[in-house]
Amino acid sequence: MNETTVTKVDSSEFFEALGADMARRVEEYRVLGDCNMDLGIEMQRHDGEPFRIVLHFEGLESPQVIVADPGSDMPLADCKLEGPLDAWEEMIADIRANGSATGLQTLNSLTLIGDRIQVIGGDTMGVDRFFRYNQTLQAYFDGAATL
Amino acid sequence: MTGTGTDTETSATSLPEFSPLGLPLDWTWLKGAKSEWGVRPKPGPRGLTMSDIAVGSYGEVPDEASARTMAPRGGDRDLDLPDLGYLLNRKSEVWADNVVELYEEAVARQWSATRDIPWNELQELPDDVEHAMCQLCTMLTEVEMVAADLPAKWLWRMNHDYLETKMFLGTQIMDEGRHTEVFRKRALSNGGGLLKSRRAVEDLLRTILQAKTYTQASALLHLLGEGFVLDIFRQGELISPTHVEKKIFRMAMQDEARHVAYGTMHIRYEIEHDPDVAEEIHEALDSGEQVLMQFGLNPDMTSALAVLLAGGTEHVEEKGFPLLQQLLGKMMTSYLARCERAGLHRLERTLIPFEMFGIDREQVAVR
Repeated sequence: MNETTVTKVDSSEFFEALGADMARRVEEYRVLGDCNMDLGIEMQRHDGEPFRIVLHFEGLESPQVIVADPGSDMPLADCKLEGPLDAWEEMIADIRANGSATGLQTLNSLTLIGDRIQVIGGDTMGVDRFFRYNQTLQAYFDGAATL
Repeated sequence: MTGTGTDTETSATSLPEFSPLGLPLDWTWLKGAKSEWGVRPKPGPRGLTMSDIAVGSYGEVPDEASARTMAPRGGDRDLDLPDLGYLLNRKSEVWADNVVELYEEAVARQWSATRDIPWNELQELPDDVEHAMCQLCTMLTEVEMVAADLPAKWLWRMNHDYLETKMFLGTQIMDEGRHTEVFRKRALSNGGGLLKSRRAVEDLLRTILQAKTYTQASALLHLLGEGFVLDIFRQGELISPTHVEKKIFRMAMQDEARHVAYGTMHIRYEIEHDPDVAEEIHEALDSGEQVLMQFGLNPDMTSALAVLLAGGTEHVEEKGFPLLQQLLGKMMTSYLARCERAGLHRLERTLIPFEMFGIDREQVAVR
């Protein structure tokens, strides 16, 4: 458990903290192998102003967190995960309660049902990267259990 | 290595003509082979990749293979090397622009069905759920090995100038062996055992294996069959009763997505370089889709998936089957999207019964 608990999901600090957790558990990620993709994240807040970032994964490094300026478009990414902030918060709450995502709260399950969080991409090959690196991405988000 | 070509040539003049055994020696490899001298590709952060070494004449992948040998590109060759009889001697017949990347990815992301799945954390499940999981795993362990058998059938026919494709298909064979293993292990490890095999499954496997050309084989296997199985794996993760099954399906999903990525981009590459081949692919998919429908809608798989989606038999009618229908619709639209990416416009031609899955064909066209 970290000394500082990061609770605000729609913040770059949250994703930086997930990256720091990834760096601490790099040996677990080494078993999963290199991950090379740009994953967009879009959370629709209640005030209508979306939170948008791109996670730039390369090898076993913690992803670079690129925050979109308010009002600007999402930076280029292979694909993006998009949904209301409530859905993201529920997913993270499930991870924190169970140590990792369970049931329908995994990234794959949420996007397969697609009624709350969707995987979207202009190129099906970009979307397929979400499947090619899915275990790494899930491990990255499961790191929220330690924050 | 610090020497220069000139230094080597000078020092080589005093080398012996015969070995201590009295056998003649040939120093032309030392004196003459200077064309790539000084080439030193630099390793990147991940090590020295196949992309890193694709420099100089070695890095040039010819559109037409220059010979039918295993001699590496970029090297010197005797003129009388034997003909190894390769049948696929054009780059467009096997290549994909992402194949080198996919090979490195596959090597980096191998996993072990013995070590990396927490088998000792399997939980006792209700009988109906365990049976459904075992029926699904029986079907998967039955079909997965075709994606090893088929590349194996064609690998030795591919010219060695396209080694990167052969290396990638080697990783695919390893992947599929592991999938066969992991689903067999799951069926046998929690009390349920291996269940029923059906003709529809074997008909699909036969159709894929008996494809007349590699082009048709790749379309049927990578684009159609593995694309469908990739979506089954996605559903499998969704319906997994515990984290153990979720991890099995996620790990298998990653591998399968690489195979689909190769197939999609291979078909695209081939059509771009030989547009006439599109009709050959369409013909294969015309029949392949029909067999796939029989496989995908076979009574064992649909009922097992529906039970898993419903969490048991009790709610299978009001919950399991409607959700399954929705997911099958997504599978069909995913398949069509991949066909489009590959340069195949299937929407107007396909006989897939979209209406059965509640899909408006015109809406798919708009997307």
